[in-house]
Amino acid sequence: MTTAAATISGYLKQKAPFFGSHEWITLGLVLLAFAIPALTTNPQALSQANLILIAATAALGVYIMLRLDLMSFAVPSFMAIGGYTVAVLSLRLGVTDVVVLGLAAFLVPALCAVPLGWLILRLKGVYFVLVTFVLTEIVQLLLFEAAPLTGGSNGLVGMPAVRFFGFELWDNSHVLLTTTGLAFAGFLVTAIFTRRFRYEFAAIEKNDVLAESLGLACWKYKAMAFAVAAGVSGLAGFALVNMLMTAHPTSFAPMSSVNYITYTIVGGKGSILGTLVGAILLVSATDYFALRGELSPGLFGLLIIVVTLLARGGVIGTVTTLIGSLRARGSRWVGNGPARKAPKGDIR
Amino acid sequence: MEGFIATGLIGISLGSQYTLLALGFTLIFGILGVVNFAHGGFYVMGGYVAYYCTAMLGLSYPVALLIAVGSTAMLGWLFETLILERVIEDHQATLMVTMGFYLVMATAILMIFGAESPEFSFPIAGVWRAGGVYFPYANMVVLGVCLAAIVLVYWLVYRTNLGRAMRAMAEDRAVASALGMRTKVLFPFAFALATGLAGLTGALVTPILALAPHVGDPVLAFSFLTVILGGLGSVTGATVAAFIVGLVEAYAAVYLGGSKGALTLFVLVLIILVIRPQGLLGKEVRRA
Repeated sequence: MTTAAATISGYLKQKAPFFGSHEWITLGLVLLAFAIPALTTNPQALSQANLILIAATAALGVYIMLRLDLMSFAVPSFMAIGGYTVAVLSLRLGVTDVVVLGLAAFLVPALCAVPLGWLILRLKGVYFVLVTFVLTEIVQLLLFEAAPLTGGSNGLVGMPAVRFFGFELWDNSHVLLTTTGLAFAGFLVTAIFTRRFRYEFAAIEKNDVLAESLGLACWKYKAMAFAVAAGVSGLAGFALVNMLMTAHPTSFAPMSSVNYITYTIVGGKGSILGTLVGAILLVSATDYFALRGELSPGLFGLLIIVVTLLARGGVIGTVTTLIGSLRARGSRWVGNGPARKAPKGDIR
Repeated sequence: MEGFIATGLIGISLGSQYTLLALGFTLIFGILGVVNFAHGGFYVMGGYVAYYCTAMLGLSYPVALLIAVGSTAMLGWLFETLILERVIEDHQATLMVTMGFYLVMATAILMIFGAESPEFSFPIAGVWRAGGVYFPYANMVVLGVCLAAIVLVYWLVYRTNLGRAMRAMAEDRAVASALGMRTKVLFPFAFALATGLAGLTGALVTPILALAPHVGDPVLAFSFLTVILGGLGSVTGATVAAFIVGLVEAYAAVYLGGSKGALTLFVLVLIILVIRPQGLLGKEVRRA
């Protein structure tokens, strides 16, 4: 980074607090999930909370890459790498400590993402979309082909319960606690990472050629983001495998990447809170639609279309815009004040 | 040797099918700047419409083909004008909308026809043989129709004013519209043409391969592969790449077996991306 850019970014960093309100609310909401097992023992509610947290953590992989204006379909592949790492470690090597497993589930996908990123990250826009989609197909095939390691089409079954400092986490509520812990770790890493480099990311998102010519080493930030996104997805993979007690290729189907992207965009891609809200709303919606059986994916698709057409900034973007315009209306004369703020959520 | 030739023929006929799919995909991207995630849906729909016309209405297969093309093109036209047009400038929104539409289409087909694959076989049976080389008549017909459709698309894109207008649109949308090309007419037309091609492929191929509500997923993946290999937006690139993909898949399936064919292809695509990130015949990457 040049001195000028360093000075400017240093100056800007002094002005704004490190975490905005959205980050605090998001982390608080995730922490609240720790209380769920104390409030209810209803297995339905517990599994629902589990699913939401896993979906939200996985969708963070999409959120991080969207900070750089890259739409990634690679989340299921890194979830698979994280999940299978945990399964292999616990089944073959007898590792059950949740901290060790969590670190492995983050680091192994992140390390895999480095060489892949070298290959993929020079692609822009639609090429990135297509190649990450193909990548999930490759990983899916590899899971079936590498049977000695992954168990092929049988998957890896019968994982032992994980332990937290020797304490065995085995029943439904313990599984939710594990998931919450992993989700919190994922959200914390994502919040710190995206806030720490928010100006760099914003510059690359707006115009990476300009950012590059101003002295920003774009490849460095893209590579870091890809690795962190992979690691966070790996945590989600761990949580999923831990909940199902099996690692199976179908858990990481290529088309599931569509869901994760949908959570992020429907919730509002402009803020980390959007990812969480999107996951809460859409996983609950899926659950509700499931009452309609076969109709459920169609209703989900319809919902995607309607939200995309009507609420362009996603739920959070639209709410933020609404609050902003209500405030503006309250404090200024109607019609005589300056033009209303442009919708925040709509990046383009 | 005979086996080698027979496999090559299968590869070429696969390649011609992939060409039709990839041509549609690449036209939509080149002209509208949209990645059509619903492409596989139109393929499946074409297959089911043809099945419905022949099995339920008792129409002849060629008529069913025409109806399949017409109905998929019509739906594509409607989807473009009513939904896609509203978000055409925002590439993430177009992705979301086409993904959503794919889910809706797949569900609609599932609700109407059920999850089981229906009995739908090609009207012409029999195998042509010369020496030890076997080639089913059905594949021959598919190959013929596909090649005819490919020639028609080339003629349309490179020899007519409509095609010139579409290519101008792909080259530079702002300048082309300033010169009087009408996006309101050309976008729906290009989209309908592409979805019609997908429908045609579905109607032709599903009686030979398989017809079920979910057969669109792999179609999408193969369309992606082909356009990545050939270069997004490049018509010739898509054609060349589709034949490469078809031949590699056929030979790998025979000589390597199982899903190794698909893996070989994926690795091939990765290698090509390292050497030429813009694809075989692609130009500068378009910022969509």
